[in-house]
Amino acid sequence: MVKKEITEKSPLRKLESAVQGGLGAGNIGVIASKKGIGKTAALVHIATDKLMQDKHVIHVSYSNRVDHIISWYEDIFSEISKKRDLADAMDVHDELIRNRVIMNFNQSGVTVDHVLAGVKAMMEAGQKGTDAIIIDGFDFTKAADGDISSFKKFAGDNKVEIWFSDSYIRNEGYQDEQGIPVNLKPFLEDLSVVLTLKNEEGFMMMTLIKDHEKVHAEKLSLKLDIDTLLIAEA
Amino acid sequence: MVDDITKMRNIGISAHIDSGKTTLTERILFYCQKIHAIHEVRGKDGVGATMDSMELERERGITIASAATNVTWKDTDINIIDTPGHVDFTIEVERALRVLDGAVLVLCSVGGVQSQSITVDRQLKRYNVPRIAFVNKSDRTGANPYKVCDQLKEKLNLNSCMMQVPIGLEEKLEGMVDLVTMKAMYFDGNDGETLRIEEIPAHLVDEANERREIMLDTVSMFSDDLMEKMMEGDDIPEEMINEAIRKGTLSLELCPVYLGSAYKNKGIQPLLDAVLKYLPCPTDVENRALDLDKDEEEVVLPSDPTKPTVALAFKLEDGQYGQLTYIRIYQGILKKGTDLYNVRMKRKFKVGRLVRMHSNTMEDINEARCGDIVALFGIDCASGDTFCDPSLNLSMTSMYVPNAVISLSITPKDKSASDKMAKALNRFTKEDPTFRTHVDPESNETIISGMGELHLEVYIERMKREYKAEVETGAPRVAYREAISSSADFNYTHKKQTGGSGQYGRVAGFMEVLEVGEDGKDYEFVDMIKGGSIPNEYIPSCDKGFQEAMKKGSLIGAPVVGVKMTINDGQYHTVDSSDQAFQTAALGAFREAYNKAKPVILEPIMKVSVEGPSEFQGNIFGSINQRRGMIIGSTEEGNNCVVDAEVPLSEMFGYSTVLRSSTQGKAEFTMEFAKYGKVPQGVSEELIKAYQEERKAANK
Repeated sequence: MVKKEITEKSPLRKLESAVQGGLGAGNIGVIASKKGIGKTAALVHIATDKLMQDKHVIHVSYSNRVDHIISWYEDIFSEISKKRDLADAMDVHDELIRNRVIMNFNQSGVTVDHVLAGVKAMMEAGQKGTDAIIIDGFDFTKAADGDISSFKKFAGDNKVEIWFSDSYIRNEGYQDEQGIPVNLKPFLEDLSVVLTLKNEEGFMMMTLIKDHEKVHAEKLSLKLDIDTLLIAEA
Repeated sequence: MVDDITKMRNIGISAHIDSGKTTLTERILFYCQKIHAIHEVRGKDGVGATMDSMELERERGITIASAATNVTWKDTDINIIDTPGHVDFTIEVERALRVLDGAVLVLCSVGGVQSQSITVDRQLKRYNVPRIAFVNKSDRTGANPYKVCDQLKEKLNLNSCMMQVPIGLEEKLEGMVDLVTMKAMYFDGNDGETLRIEEIPAHLVDEANERREIMLDTVSMFSDDLMEKMMEGDDIPEEMINEAIRKGTLSLELCPVYLGSAYKNKGIQPLLDAVLKYLPCPTDVENRALDLDKDEEEVVLPSDPTKPTVALAFKLEDGQYGQLTYIRIYQGILKKGTDLYNVRMKRKFKVGRLVRMHSNTMEDINEARCGDIVALFGIDCASGDTFCDPSLNLSMTSMYVPNAVISLSITPKDKSASDKMAKALNRFTKEDPTFRTHVDPESNETIISGMGELHLEVYIERMKREYKAEVETGAPRVAYREAISSSADFNYTHKKQTGGSGQYGRVAGFMEVLEVGEDGKDYEFVDMIKGGSIPNEYIPSCDKGFQEAMKKGSLIGAPVVGVKMTINDGQYHTVDSSDQAFQTAALGAFREAYNKAKPVILEPIMKVSVEGPSEFQGNIFGSINQRRGMIIGSTEEGNNCVVDAEVPLSEMFGYSTVLRSSTQGKAEFTMEFAKYGKVPQGVSEELIKAYQEERKAANK
């Protein structure tokens, strides 16, 4: 297959149609789940899908090392190219990584303003034409009033979409009766799409909690493949 | 000389600039009674410590910069080997690392794991060198050994483990509690030379117990006995803990962390004890050589004195006594008067004067055995050469040397400089195989080439300083390559049968892309001729012809790399075929296929790392972007940001000036060769155009 076909056949199209055509520039999306069941993989898959469409992505992380994140991208890319038998995989790969930048903020207590200033600098000088920003490892429990609105404003001003992850210790019990993850409740207004990933009898099932204006729990026929950690149709 | 090989350590002391390597080395020499007084690092006039330590390092150049210093601690010989601090000349660093069995990684208690610590660690990992860490400067304000220990885990992925608890920190640092013996250690006397052992101060008992638990948990992974004892809640014998730590350290799965302050004379003796206890002796480490008779097959060298000798020359020094060659013996015994074989030069020589180096004197010895580090006098060799018993043909290092990526012309300023320059070049090329020199036949200029702009700059500077040779340099030039991007067939007939002795040969087959692997092999020849359509005697001629053709690609005349040539058919003429005819046919065949195989131009891509204050990150990003660079990532910590990128070497000329002016001199960068990458279309066209114009001009 060539790049274009892969994009067309990607299960992410299904996700997009479930959320009225996608997250969209200026908006914020969050994937919430228990720790260690594949949020990062899902975010990296979303990012890789953008890259496959020749879009530019900045991946912001709060971990210690850039190379860990790079290996996530390498793994996801090689799974996709293997599964779909991508033609000229090496060339596509080289092309893709040019449009991806990883920014790591590894001190504790870094402010949102500081992060956004860094991202802004990158967008202006390093990675022109950024379409999406992935923010992995942001701690919503420590987010101050206005932090998420700052992100939202940034997304709007710069016409990018931002994807976050939100992490919990347990598989159950972190959602309210509407299914909204507790950490996200104070910021719900600024969040356009909220998804959860849940381990259900060995499958990581994806549920849509908020879809732009609509708040309702809707099981999607999407899951995370346990072997490849790719988002796939259930 | 110590007879027992287990009573010997070959270690390196690696550190980030200014984390106190000089001071630490000084203390080690003092406590091992190699020097009799400690020279104060800080001058009386209160000049900044940084400058002082650099001055000292220069003054004491003989001690610290000499390739190996030998000290004795308790009953063990420790060879301290200097590892070059700069990262630009990888080959030299890697050679020094081959010689080490273990290392002490020195870290600043405030700065923690810094950029150079990461580089050094990467190299240690590549050569499987076990290490212990020493958190120096624990007397400084803001000292936090625990934080450094965590950073070792996070940033270097080491299973680090505190072996001590500080008694007081910052200016109140008095000593430390050893978590194995559970005793407090203090350092008395003017220079901390008297170790006083006491009970743990009451206020630290709880903390020490807690830390000991953590330590035992970590090291019990390496000993089932220890784990059993812990489960049963028995007293754990000290020996058992030491054994477990040693096992973990040797397998590189554990990094014990010590702390202290070299400047305040605290914690050095326990560190030396740890070197003895936990770092490997030469027999603990498996060394390998490559058998040149068996296509560089790996052979394990047992540190056995009864086997034939194998040794590696790892450093040459041109001192007041003439040329000294430092060698490490890996197998067998090296005796004065015996014959050795230099594998690279394929030449036998006799071992003359053999010496062991001390900090400022040398001792003549008659023999040295495996594991040891000694020096030879007046041997004609290059650094990296392997010497072995004439019955062997082993090499300690692969014969593969990376190709130079940059070159520039040098012209001596006057006649006397010309002689000095020749002398200097002769010496540098011996020291460093990645530094090369040749005379360009067209311009008649001397060209030097190497692994980076800085690499060449340093040699030009050394020429000036050490040899007083003033030279003028030309603009640096990048070493481009050409390669094919698809396969192509060839079927070429070379025919010249008009009068006189004729020439005839036909060569057919196909050309494919060969991925250049780790070994650097960039050409392969496959003979699939059946039924003698090309007689056996002419097969090597085809091989030769292909290789000749690869010297100059047709795009910009750069060498061609990464080609696999297969011949499967051909034709010959009983009278008119000859070696020459088939070579010419192969050359023609190559060119025919080459143009069909979508040739591309490759350029050296450098791995660049820029470090500077966050406020300038935009400028740093921009400066990389303007250079066709690709930003891989950026990491921010505190107010500092590190940007990693890949940038074509051709765009990096003069980068230091640009970076300095755009960041008020607050950012610095390092770079090393990463790979060869495809030149983008636009640039490629320009290069081809320039090449054609150059040729046109030359043909006029």
